[in-house]
Amino acid sequence: MPADPSMKIMVVDDMSTMRRIVKNLLKQLGFANVDEAENGQEALIKLRADKFGFVVSDWNMPVMSGIQLLKAIRADEALKAIPVLMVTAEAQKENIIEAVQAGVSNYVVKPFTAEILQEKMAKIFK
Amino acid sequence: MNDSNRKLYGELGELTRYIENTMRQLRCVEAPVEETTAQLPQASEHLSDLAKLTEEGTHRVMELTEELQDNRRLVAQSLKELATVPLGSPNSTPADRLAAIATLLAADDKRLMDIMTALSFQDLVAQRIKKIITILDDVEHKLLQMVVVFGAKQNGAQTPNGKADQMLKELEASRSTALKQDLVDDILGQFGFN
Repeated sequence: MPADPSMKIMVVDDMSTMRRIVKNLLKQLGFANVDEAENGQEALIKLRADKFGFVVSDWNMPVMSGIQLLKAIRADEALKAIPVLMVTAEAQKENIIEAVQAGVSNYVVKPFTAEILQEKMAKIFK
Repeated sequence: MNDSNRKLYGELGELTRYIENTMRQLRCVEAPVEETTAQLPQASEHLSDLAKLTEEGTHRVMELTEELQDNRRLVAQSLKELATVPLGSPNSTPADRLAAIATLLAADDKRLMDIMTALSFQDLVAQRIKKIITILDDVEHKLLQMVVVFGAKQNGAQTPNGKADQMLKELEASRSTALKQDLVDDILGQFGFN
């Protein structure tokens, strides 16, 4: 099913500049309903409090990492179906394998372009 | 055995004990030195990568900015021509000219988005800096361990073994906390570093 432009998206990254960049790119792609969190724990609280259609998360974050967030989402009955896109500088094979085994929907390596983000989202929401 | 031989024998014994003690201390710091030797090149590599990332990111932003500037000049020129070229000109209609301007502006939209993504180099730089800070904290910790181990009997600072062990334990415990500067200063002060 194509992505709904009005769906609420959660952007998770400990760097405020990165959150701003991803938020801007999503806006350019037509997705203006975006919330932010600076770590997995904060994201999880917000995800459980409202209805979200998509999560874009970094890997390395304090308090709760992206992979821990992903596992928590997949373990939560109310959240497990939410697509999760990992956007991260970690490009080692074992990281990708771990993310896939944890149930990631797709994986983008930093630095990335708007086209790559769009392409990955199109694959998730086809 | 006469007095001079006895004295020589005693000094040889003293020297042997000193060598043995030093060898024992060297064995204690062997591991920290090895680990530090491996970590410092990593820190250098991260620093080189930082310089490269910031340079590449900055160049990309400047390149896109220059393209935007060139495009704005073209748009300004096109608008000027639109105002001066007579209507019904055989070469192009106002609609064609406006469409051309719209195309130029659409290209600028993409450049502005590319500037945003190019600025993500800041995030990569920050991650590398964090790794360097971790390495330096670790190296500092190991150097202090060596100071404690070697400095226990240096320069008359007869720090009892118990005190040295206590300091090492405190140093180890402080690894996970940010407030270790007092302990660092205390240790350095004990061994003559002021």
